[in-house]
Amino acid sequence: MAIEEKKIILPGGNTCPGCTGPIVHRIIYNTLGKNVIQFGGGGCGGGSPRDVPSYSLHHSGVASGATGIVKALEAQGRTDITVVALAGDGAASNTSFGKLSAAALRDDNMMFFTCDNEAYMNTGVQKSDLTPYNAWTRTTPLGKKTRKMDLPMIMAYHYVPYVATVTPAYHADFVRKLKRAQEIEGFKYFHVLQPCPTGWRHDPAKAIELSRLAVQTKIWPLYEIDDGNFKITYKPREFKPVSEYLGPQRRYSHLDDGMVEEIQKLQDEEWENVLSRDGKYIWG
Amino acid sequence: MGEFKIMDGNDAAAHGVMLSRPDVVAIFPITPNTTLINGVAELTASGKMKAKNVTVENEHAALSVVAGAAAAGARTFTASASQGVVHMEEVLWMIPGSRLPLVMAICNRSISNPGSLMCTHSDSLLQRDNGWLQLYCEDAQEVIDTTIQSYRIAEDKRVLLPIHFCLDGYVTSACAIPVNVPDQDKVDEFLPPYPHEHFYLDPTNTIRPEPGLPNYRGLETEQRYIIDEALIGAKEVIKEVNDEWGEMFGRKYGNGLIEEYRTEDAKGVLVTMGSMTGTARVVVDQMRDEGKPIGLVKLRTFRPFPTEEFKRIGAKVDAMGFVDRNFSHGAASGGGIGVVETSRALYHLDERPPLLGFIAGIGGRDVTYENFRYMAEKVLKAAETGKVEKEVEWIQLMEG
Repeated sequence: MAIEEKKIILPGGNTCPGCTGPIVHRIIYNTLGKNVIQFGGGGCGGGSPRDVPSYSLHHSGVASGATGIVKALEAQGRTDITVVALAGDGAASNTSFGKLSAAALRDDNMMFFTCDNEAYMNTGVQKSDLTPYNAWTRTTPLGKKTRKMDLPMIMAYHYVPYVATVTPAYHADFVRKLKRAQEIEGFKYFHVLQPCPTGWRHDPAKAIELSRLAVQTKIWPLYEIDDGNFKITYKPREFKPVSEYLGPQRRYSHLDDGMVEEIQKLQDEEWENVLSRDGKYIWG
Repeated sequence: MGEFKIMDGNDAAAHGVMLSRPDVVAIFPITPNTTLINGVAELTASGKMKAKNVTVENEHAALSVVAGAAAAGARTFTASASQGVVHMEEVLWMIPGSRLPLVMAICNRSISNPGSLMCTHSDSLLQRDNGWLQLYCEDAQEVIDTTIQSYRIAEDKRVLLPIHFCLDGYVTSACAIPVNVPDQDKVDEFLPPYPHEHFYLDPTNTIRPEPGLPNYRGLETEQRYIIDEALIGAKEVIKEVNDEWGEMFGRKYGNGLIEEYRTEDAKGVLVTMGSMTGTARVVVDQMRDEGKPIGLVKLRTFRPFPTEEFKRIGAKVDAMGFVDRNFSHGAASGGGIGVVETSRALYHLDERPPLLGFIAGIGGRDVTYENFRYMAEKVLKAAETGKVEKEVEWIQLMEG
């Protein structure tokens, strides 16, 4: 598949080697085009300059700052511009969770992206509420004792017109969802799983591989919820064990066989949940 | 010219906002400004006002919404008080650096704990260091006039900084008086549409500012200096706008920065802010009738602080007393914020007058005629003796 490179991501980025942030932003802006205004950076993975007008008010202003832009454009009658709000997982699940929720409940016309690398990576790997069960971070040195919150489903029950889970390894799936969402008016929620070599403690060359493994091991099911209609958008023919995903990441190096088994069981249950919703209208 | 209506301060602010034609308003209630934002919502619902209102989830979001909107070229409004202003703190600091000319009302109220729903100026004065302009209003008439003036001042190319206009919770916000409401066509003449030509978000704009990001280039010193220059320079703009308002609408507020009352031949002056000024004026008249040479300065613009005006008055009087409706725990000489600022303004005078600090009206406690007479007598005594008995005195302090 030919990718048209519009040079929206500019040189001079300051992300770590192997960071998937700039890849995600390239996919987003190459698909949405240049007629966008961006609010927020999307955590430290957004540390690459982009040729789009942007503004930000620290991580804790995400969503509401974008709402302001949306309303200004409405007041000016400018309907052609797409407003993109980018938040890291810490902003989306913790510091700006209330703002994300309120913007969704107001159905403000924006595309919101949670760029989820599963911890506060900018400050050097501290737990967020999107850190997965039993993952090591500097503030959970013995592993996080509670599960990752199911933010995409929480957003789905804000009754917003579109919710999608994506990850950069599944590029075509990501692009199709972006194009679909851009056609819809109202609040569109994207949850992007974004592997982070620095925080997940893996080989920087393996970031996209882990992005793919997350889907193949039931860790990160790919689905969309279009006006309440839930649809799995990619079903692997056969699943791999979660150990293949956890193994290369040293944030899981403290896990023994029993703990790995526990995570396998959680993800098996999770997949059953996802399957049970597939093809259904979930707001009924 | 204009129409007289019975309005309280919150009503006046809501009508001032309507006449200023904002594009985006962030709405969130807090006592005592709730009826202000109710008013904005009703004026919009009735079609008199065309703004896009956003019913936000908290004050932090309210300011984030109007900041985003202003960055995209909108004229905006929001309002808060007390805990709400404190909750906004993080965002408040970001606005001057982005040079967004936001206008925001603060209905002054105590901050807990201990606190109350009534007026103390601590919530707005807490914001004195972050680059916002601050204007304090005495009554509902000044509120409606200052609301409209605020947009002209903030959006002036020489300023481009945000403004808080402040009204005392309840005493001004809920006290109804006859208010002359300016005509819309005259306001339109006074306040042209917001030009948003310096910085705004537009895909066709080739400038790509990211002013919200941390400054990695080590230029914060220079950026802060530029903000400071603009803030100091705003004094001239405030005076000009006050003069122009006077010519168009027949009302002026001193020179825009301070309003002097019977200071020409005064030996001692009291300085007040906000609603208590009215009471003080009556006491000055009474004491003048008795031949006592007291005068009054209403401090209207706290930021930028009118240093030159204070120096001029300080050089000609024999004593000055600052009535602070706020406190600054542990400050130099135990002062309120106003008296500490004034000390600095007067410090380099060749002959400094004795300066007395009074802390009064905390938590909305009425500052009475008797209180003002007491403070004025203290100032006159200091003028006579050249001595300060007590650097700071808490008025109406219950003993035991």
